[in-house]
Amino acid sequence: MIGGHEVTDDRGGPTVPGPVPGDVDLGRVWLGVAAQVWRRSPGPLERLATRVLRSPGLARALVTTPSLLLGWVVATMVVLVAGALATRGTGTPFVALLAPGVAAAGIAYGYGPGIDPAWELSCSMAVSDRMVLLVRALAVFGLNAVLGLAASAASGAATAVTFGWLVPMAAVCALALATATVAQSANVGVAAGVAGWVIMVLSGQAAAGRLAAAVTDTALVLPYLAFAACCAVIVLVATRIPRGMS
Amino acid sequence: MNVEVSDLTRKLGRTQAVAGVTMATGPGVFGLLGPNGAGKTSLLRMMATVLPPSSGRIRLLGRDPGDYGQRKQIRRRLGYLPQNLGYYPRFTVVEFVEYFALLKEMPPARVHHAVAATVERVGLGDKAKAKLRTLSGGMLRRVGIAQAIVNEPELLLLDEPTAGLDPEQRVTFRALLRDLGQHATVIVSTHLVEDVGAACSQVGLMNRGKLVFQGTPGELTARAEGTSAAGDSPLERGYSAMLAQARS
Repeated sequence: MIGGHEVTDDRGGPTVPGPVPGDVDLGRVWLGVAAQVWRRSPGPLERLATRVLRSPGLARALVTTPSLLLGWVVATMVVLVAGALATRGTGTPFVALLAPGVAAAGIAYGYGPGIDPAWELSCSMAVSDRMVLLVRALAVFGLNAVLGLAASAASGAATAVTFGWLVPMAAVCALALATATVAQSANVGVAAGVAGWVIMVLSGQAAAGRLAAAVTDTALVLPYLAFAACCAVIVLVATRIPRGMS
Repeated sequence: MNVEVSDLTRKLGRTQAVAGVTMATGPGVFGLLGPNGAGKTSLLRMMATVLPPSSGRIRLLGRDPGDYGQRKQIRRRLGYLPQNLGYYPRFTVVEFVEYFALLKEMPPARVHHAVAATVERVGLGDKAKAKLRTLSGGMLRRVGIAQAIVNEPELLLLDEPTAGLDPEQRVTFRALLRDLGQHATVIVSTHLVEDVGAACSQVGLMNRGKLVFQGTPGELTARAEGTSAAGDSPLERGYSAMLAQARS
């Protein structure tokens, strides 16, 4: 520690004699300097998130989202761009058909044991783990929506396709999240979300004779939303801490 | 009392990890001893509000962790070091400690100074800007301790805090524990009896999910009198004698 009239560099440096007044607490001075030198400057995304969420902790939790890491973003873009190109060539809305599965994986890999390295520690924090979960889910959803919008704009059918995929995407993501939460496994969540979506697409094709029926049939909007709501309730119940412990 | 627990149980699958623990403790350092699988970690995780109990009653810092608002208040005043500390390899020491200071909702204006003071306190000043992936196991343990104490917690829960620390660091850490225990309730789970002897004013011994002893280290030592319990120190012999009694 630094203090008194003689300053000893406790990192192995030389002893520095100095005309330091006795009432100056050099330890405190050093901590003030260290606090300034060591402080981290948040990036623009984190600053924006801090303003929007009004919570520096939540903003930091958001930018550490595993599924927002660069590799994941690139993989998502590749999948959606390939989907857009295939849509142009065939007329089938592959972007809308692929997006729910991609988003479900992103949501399931956004939070949880084995995915977030410091998950257990995060669960003991004042910033609610449910809030972290919600914000990360919204971030993944938002990112996929933006990427999908760009892709569908390129294919020239933005509005219809956007609504066509956003609603089923909500249902599939909710299924993945609920399964991941109950099973305590992101992999199981992804498997459930993707499998559920494949079944939906194939059954749409069997019933209507069109591969894209799962994203173009407007009669499915309400069932999708109801299903998403049920899964959200399951997530809430699975992450609650029971009352009556005291 | 800062920690009040009554008939607390927790089942993990078919295993009864905690089987009706009742205890109460105030400020000071409380050592939680026991063999592997005794239920120490599960008990600590329930106190850290990470794991809900299957049944029983628990009050922390005079509040009910089952109530959302009160749980938030507890967590602001809580420090927790899990047995297996997960970390973000690309974070620096300062970034990691700061992240958890923010998640504990410390006032942002206080965070930078508190982080610097804590990093110095655990002796990692010269590694403040080092990435976590470059640190040794002992240094990572100290990073974990730093995030646990950065908010000057009223309740500090440490699960095997000295694992990976070298003898010199352990001596320093015990001094830190005694210092923290002057104002806060510190509960330390360990299987190293010497840590308890050096730093704890109270000790509890768990076996098969039950708290089979609660008292002072001196009282635990006295349990070895008149027995042929094994151990290299009086406290270890007391530990062995109490454990043998609980198993018989």
